[in-house]
Amino acid sequence: MSWLQRLFARKRMEIELDKELRFHFESQVADKVRSGISESEARRLTRLEFGGIEQIKENCRESGGTLWLESLAQDVGYGLRQLRKSPGFTFIALLSLTLGIGANTAIFTLLDAILLRPLPVQSPKELLLFGHGDAQGSTSVIPNGSWNLFSYSFFHDFRQKDTSFSGTAAVDSTQFATKASIAGAAYQTTHINLVSGSYFSVLGVSAFLGRTIGESDDSAADAGPVAVASYSWFQRQFDGDRSALGKTIRIQSHDYTLVGVARPGFDGFTVGQSTDLWIPLSMEKEFSRPGWNGLGDRFFQSLYLIGRLKPGVTAAQASAETNLLFKQILRSYLGSQPPQKHLDDLAHASVELTPGGRGVSNLRRAFSMPLKVLMAIVALVLLIACANIANMLLARGVARTREVAVRMALGASRRRIVFQLLTESVLLAFLGAVAGVALAWKASVVLLNMATPGPDPVPLNLTPDMAVLGFTLGVATLTALLFGIVPAFRATGLEFTPALKDGGGSSSTTRGVLARSLIVGQVALSVVLLVVAGLFVRSLLHLSDVDTGFDKHNVLVFSLDSSTANLPRGTPDEIHSVQLQEQIEDRVQTVPGVQSDSFALFTFNEGAWGDQVLFQGVPRTPENGQEVLFNNVGDGFFSAMSIPLIDGRTFNAHDTQGSPQVAVINETMARRFFPHGLAVGRRFGMGTPDRPDEIEVIGVVKDAKYTELDEGTLMAAYFPCTQKPGFYGNLIVRFGAGANPQEIISRTRSSIAKINPNILVNSVGSLEEQVDDSIATQSLIARLSGFFGTLAVFLACIGVYGLLSYSVALRTSELGIRFALGAQSRTVLWMVLRECILLLVLGLSIGVPVALSSTRILKSLLYELSPLDPMAISTAVATVAVMTIAAAWLPAWRATKIDPMRALRAE
Amino acid sequence: MKTEDKFDLPQGTLDLLIMRVVALGPIHGYAIAQRIQQMSREALQVQQGSLYPALHRLEYKKLLAATWKPSETGREAKFYELTAKGRTHLKTESENWRRLTDVVGLILKGTLEGTS
Repeated sequence: MSWLQRLFARKRMEIELDKELRFHFESQVADKVRSGISESEARRLTRLEFGGIEQIKENCRESGGTLWLESLAQDVGYGLRQLRKSPGFTFIALLSLTLGIGANTAIFTLLDAILLRPLPVQSPKELLLFGHGDAQGSTSVIPNGSWNLFSYSFFHDFRQKDTSFSGTAAVDSTQFATKASIAGAAYQTTHINLVSGSYFSVLGVSAFLGRTIGESDDSAADAGPVAVASYSWFQRQFDGDRSALGKTIRIQSHDYTLVGVARPGFDGFTVGQSTDLWIPLSMEKEFSRPGWNGLGDRFFQSLYLIGRLKPGVTAAQASAETNLLFKQILRSYLGSQPPQKHLDDLAHASVELTPGGRGVSNLRRAFSMPLKVLMAIVALVLLIACANIANMLLARGVARTREVAVRMALGASRRRIVFQLLTESVLLAFLGAVAGVALAWKASVVLLNMATPGPDPVPLNLTPDMAVLGFTLGVATLTALLFGIVPAFRATGLEFTPALKDGGGSSSTTRGVLARSLIVGQVALSVVLLVVAGLFVRSLLHLSDVDTGFDKHNVLVFSLDSSTANLPRGTPDEIHSVQLQEQIEDRVQTVPGVQSDSFALFTFNEGAWGDQVLFQGVPRTPENGQEVLFNNVGDGFFSAMSIPLIDGRTFNAHDTQGSPQVAVINETMARRFFPHGLAVGRRFGMGTPDRPDEIEVIGVVKDAKYTELDEGTLMAAYFPCTQKPGFYGNLIVRFGAGANPQEIISRTRSSIAKINPNILVNSVGSLEEQVDDSIATQSLIARLSGFFGTLAVFLACIGVYGLLSYSVALRTSELGIRFALGAQSRTVLWMVLRECILLLVLGLSIGVPVALSSTRILKSLLYELSPLDPMAISTAVATVAVMTIAAAWLPAWRATKIDPMRALRAE
Repeated sequence: MKTEDKFDLPQGTLDLLIMRVVALGPIHGYAIAQRIQQMSREALQVQQGSLYPALHRLEYKKLLAATWKPSETGREAKFYELTAKGRTHLKTESENWRRLTDVVGLILKGTLEGTS
């Protein structure tokens, strides 16, 4: 009989078993009667000889093969009834499990989506990325180190010579949010990625509809005015309508034909950025962006390269060949008589091949360490929750001694009861896991939005997948075993005869030791978690206190898009863009409430552009040889940002395209180049200049923060937009303290529209938001670790409270006698508190050293704060001490209220 | 209530004895117990607590098959008989047992002679 049939035949089996044993019994009685014993005496004797008939039955059931399914069904039903019987315990256990497992699942979901999950491509393990993928944009520097970005020429020359890869693909490292119009409809923001003709075939991504981009689209400049859509964009725009194929899509001012839709699920090579449309790299020139027409420029390096290993070739072989070709090809680009510096740079250049199956992601660098730290934190919280539930189960085990003893006396084997008790634990854990997954589903999205604030949510698929569900299942099982196994064995290990007699536990002393060590562990872990939380919070406070060097209050930043305005690019006419900006600046200046406004290439935390500079007559030192950050700004920039001028003047109407080139520099730059003299009036050039007298310093302003709050002290130089023409999409508007920002926003919008209706406002935010958003990750870590630290202490307090209440209840009669003999309330209070203080001291003496030795790994996440910060440590210790004693106070106080008469009578 | 065997049966021996008795023809549990007692000249008394779990174990292993039939008293009883698998099993196990007892006996005898 299969186990499935057995499950259904169960009832019949029970009847047969009963019938069989009854037959034996009756035959034995009959034999005795035949030998002359009276029937009633024969029955009595037979019953004695038989022993426990239920025990025999249970043994028969067990020896009759696997009973696990029927036992399981029974145990689950029994377990559910038990849980319903004690709603208080069930509620607290489920709540802590839901929070614990939910938090673990939420963090793991993010960890999985950002760090672990492979791209939905064919055999992702065969893909190798050239470099680490942690650079983005373009660079024209001669390679001089571990290299990440490559030129289109290099891509072509490389794939003709290499023998290690079955295919190589190139993809632009930058994905562009630009405006596109479908068949003449209104322009919409669309995310576009330029890819090589081999991109889809190398990744092994097929077309859902039509075709993907092929080699012929990318064979020569302008060869392929075609676009392939991602499945989600296709669904959004066309609602799955197949007639979309062949439609014309106007991107900026060029027309592309939609030739296909990629397979569902594939959103591009960059995790955390969904591509809407892919267009061939051959169209790079038409895909207009300032200064980016580098198809023919051998050092216009802006591409990621991805290779698919040939079968049988190892990564090491591929790496050796790639590096050889890399140097050969680049050497050939340098010409016959290159400067020695270029040769030296090239000698230091290399390409590291890294696993490419997970794509690239700038989220990875930013979040990998924080996510791992958070993962550790939530794992510890879950551990504390487990300790709590184990403690509650131990207490319940004592309360259920009688039940267990009765069941064992009735013939249940010890193994069966352990299994049954474990089933209850697993049931609890799984109920917690189900609620936890539901919680995590929502929470991971909220966490991601908190970590990456901005108008557009980061497109990451956070729906729990097999990996996440598997993780949760594993965590739930592990927690069930952690909190369930010891109490289950402890509950069945009792000598059950005395237990039957009076219902009191006999092994309460060992239970006490175990329960107390659990409490010590909880206290220790919560101290560690609170120290970590304290460090993050203090680090965040330090960061928020950083002097930005500009006034972030009362400033709006408008992000403008000019891609549909058809502005001249890369031609002498480009100055028209600057004139347009000046018109907008002048008009917005007249809006009531506006104090000053200015265009700028960068405001704060928007990236950077920089290089070394060289002043005429100043030798290069390690100090002044560092990178200088550049920014192109309008005349009103310094007053709009409130960056004070120290020396000289700022830009004005006399600084024009035709006038001598000028710059305003910051204090640090002035000091590093001219420690003892004046910088104003001195001249410098950018890079390793042929003319170090090209640009004249006309003013020095105070230092500010440019890319990050924790960036340290950097050199910076500002140039007037008129002398670096281009349309710079940031409009900074400072308004008076009393003005209504909403009104200023709408008036500024209409001012822009009146000057040129094709300039679109992408988004509006405040400078304050920009500053706050730049530390969103740190603030999220601080908030989460604070939350979990508090939760940990709270759970530990529940543990202390439960333990002491229980021990006071056990000692009721003892305390009653003490009172009867004249003990003072104060003495009894101290007696109970003393136990708690002992546990507290033990917990602290374990927790503090652990915290001291482990916080070092957080160093890179802390801003100007030692991982051994005494403030954070003492706060944590004080909090845990106060909370623990507070939790102990109630049971201790209750102990003093014991009525001696009643306590003695109960005995 | 402890077992009242005159001496302890080595592990697994009960299964062998049961199969040997069942090999004589279809037989119910009570008769098996009595037969073992008779054949051992009252030296072995099989307890119900060991007999029935053993029978169910052997049935589960498909060494025994069972049918319900009227017994000599007319009441329905569960009759066990050996399956083909059970028959070969009994044969190999009996052979093993014989060899084991021979060897053990040989050694025990030798030791006694050596020490005396």
